[in-house]
Amino acid sequence: MKLVTFVSDYKINVDTLDRLKPEKLGIVLVENGVYHATTKENGNPSSLLNHSADYYVLLNDLETRGLTADDVIDSKVKVIGFGDIVDLIFNDYDKTAWL
Amino acid sequence: MGKLTIGCFSSLVGSMTLDWAVKLSGAAIEKGHKVDLWVSGNATMLSIQDQRAFKDYSSLEKPLKELMAKGLNVTACEACAEARGYNKDNTMEGFKRFSMDWYLASTFNADRVLHIGGE
Repeated sequence: MKLVTFVSDYKINVDTLDRLKPEKLGIVLVENGVYHATTKENGNPSSLLNHSADYYVLLNDLETRGLTADDVIDSKVKVIGFGDIVDLIFNDYDKTAWL
Repeated sequence: MGKLTIGCFSSLVGSMTLDWAVKLSGAAIEKGHKVDLWVSGNATMLSIQDQRAFKDYSSLEKPLKELMAKGLNVTACEACAEARGYNKDNTMEGFKRFSMDWYLASTFNADRVLHIGGE
């Protein structure tokens, strides 16, 4: 199964992602979840970036929070728009999840 | 092209998830896909007509009507709406109201489903 997971919160305290074992995992950071791509705590980037997954962050939600693509601290996180999300949902993955 | 069913169970104020679901619906329609949008719980407030648009405040009536004109199929949970005092008289034209089995039926013949839970 190819699963794309939307992470919509920064203070996520569930281990759902750890328990997901799809054949292919995509993680799309949206809404307050974009802070995982831009924020360091005690000098460390978010541990959410440690999964073996393809990472994306939604530019619209970065900009809503006064952030830009330049604020993304890890180059493996690709900056995308809503149109790209539609393509990911239909072309690259077959199941979705919202956290 | 395919069909995307989105279920959104969140509130309008304080959570931008409903705005997000409407934006995603627009992007999918723009790409030629068919979209069913189901709203439940506090998100049923989306169905109320004549909501006042304030600056810097979420207001989805206008973009929603534009998307409905482009084929967006949007339905509110009738029970959740009625439980909140939203009845037929103040429901936006074109905004359907059904019970939950409409949503289930929609997911069964969708190519993709995105269920956005409530807080």
